[in-house]
Amino acid sequence: MAAPAIETRGLTKVYGSVRAVTELELRVEAGEVFGYLGPNGAGKSTTIRMLLDLIHPTSGAASVLGLDSRRDGVEARRRVGYLPGDLRLNDRMTAREQLDSLARLRGGVDDGLRGELCDRFGVVLDRPIRQLSKGNRQKVGVVQAFMHRPRLLVLDEPTSGLDPLLQAEFRSLVRETAADGRTVFLSSHSLDEVQHVADRIGIIRAGRLVDVDAVGRLRERALRHVAIVFAEPVDPERFGRLDGVRLEISDRTTVRLSAPERAIDPIVKEASRHAVVDFVSQPADLEELFLELYDEGSDGG
Amino acid sequence: MAAELARRGLADHRRALAGWCVGIAAYCLLVASIFPSIKGSEAITTLVRNYPDALKSLFGISSAGDLSSGAGFIDAELFSLILPLLVLVLAIGSGARTLAGEEEAGRLELVLAYPVRRRDAVLAKGAAVAAEILLASVTGLLALLVLDPVFGLGLSLGRLAAAMGALAALGLLYGWLALALGAWVPSKLVALAAPAGYAAAAYLVSGLHSLAGWLDPLRFLSPFWLIGASPLQEGVDGWGVLVVLAAAAAVLGAGAVLVERRDLEVP
Repeated sequence: MAAPAIETRGLTKVYGSVRAVTELELRVEAGEVFGYLGPNGAGKSTTIRMLLDLIHPTSGAASVLGLDSRRDGVEARRRVGYLPGDLRLNDRMTAREQLDSLARLRGGVDDGLRGELCDRFGVVLDRPIRQLSKGNRQKVGVVQAFMHRPRLLVLDEPTSGLDPLLQAEFRSLVRETAADGRTVFLSSHSLDEVQHVADRIGIIRAGRLVDVDAVGRLRERALRHVAIVFAEPVDPERFGRLDGVRLEISDRTTVRLSAPERAIDPIVKEASRHAVVDFVSQPADLEELFLELYDEGSDGG
Repeated sequence: MAAELARRGLADHRRALAGWCVGIAAYCLLVASIFPSIKGSEAITTLVRNYPDALKSLFGISSAGDLSSGAGFIDAELFSLILPLLVLVLAIGSGARTLAGEEEAGRLELVLAYPVRRRDAVLAKGAAVAAEILLASVTGLLALLVLDPVFGLGLSLGRLAAAMGALAALGLLYGWLALALGAWVPSKLVALAAPAGYAAAAYLVSGLHSLAGWLDPLRFLSPFWLIGASPLQEGVDGWGVLVVLAAAAAVLGAGAVLVERRDLEVP
């Protein structure tokens, strides 16, 4: 069996009294697109920097493509493409010079692929980087991350600054990369950035991994908002007792509730015992699930 | 690979470096052009003889020599203060900027995420700093070689080359010290201020140790004293230059080791 693309064991980073990442157990399989979601300051970038040996773990270990991130860091990074969350390029260089320089630093890249990527994202090659907009700089960052056809891509907030058209282009690039059997680790604070491309999503909050699940399963768990209007008064508690259902504001003839996918069938069966005037079920809102997970325990610790 | 970092280091500083070289050559021209007007002047020799010893010592005016000879004049006007100052400012600035400065600007994160060993990055940047110092020194040497016959300085070619070589060694020590400090702690301020402070103290110790007894034992810690204060009149101290070079290499080596131990600082 192939080594996982990323594996961390008890990975912990402490800054003074602040635990930036705590006992992280993460496993990303080769060939998957993994979304690493969490609010700002949750420890996403800290995790990534430990994977790339930019900072050293306080305890625990990480391996990247089967290579220890510290001992075999150079070999590991040879196979990784990285796009930092806060990309700083050499402002005086043109994008072409910057990419040339990075290609030499890597010891050579696939020039054909590099050219293709530049065309695809419309990189402005011959103006000094200081004259480029945030989005145009970000394109340079995307190209340098992909240009050596790495086995693993580690992308921190990759689409920030890109317009919607380029975001779509970026998503198809990520899908192609996964279809090619390579792995993409996508870090973001925004569900929107990852939900359409990620196979699985891990949620980190205050340095701890609070949930890892397939996007489809998360959708199933996410709550639908259901409103049922009856011809006659009903007892809302009959719905409230169903497993997973939460009653919201109801009056005698209208029942509003939120429920996961598995509770929809019992709700419909219960409703059918009365004359139904209207039945509205809104699609699952993952965002809400995330806000809930982001929030969870922030009061309790 | 890591050699790219040396290349880029030089390319990033090429404008500043060109400025330094032009400045050094221009200052050499200015000083040399004054020489004919005081050459062999008794008045200036008498004036200088009456300077306080401390002043003579600081300005590299040897007890035997005088300002009316080419070697004495160039020693006092260039090699005692201005040329070391120019070379050290270039060296310390370059050493501090290439690592600590890049780290503070957040540009090191992407570079170190590439398959580059950190210590190789430090060594490559050290090579770029060395190349800058060498270029500046060679510019000064060439300028004086050209100016020597024009203004009748009558310098010894061997001593001039040795003096510039010693100056380059001095620059290397301070430039690599700035680089190594940046490798050790992520602060451009430290990388600039510590070598600059050390240079100022070492300059004073070298100039004043013979006058202030308590400074005397400290002279071994002064690279200025080690290479010799009047290189054109008395020649440079070859062993002293070797010690300075060895110290420079040790400092750079320490930086290459220390950089592996710490976390990269990200803005």
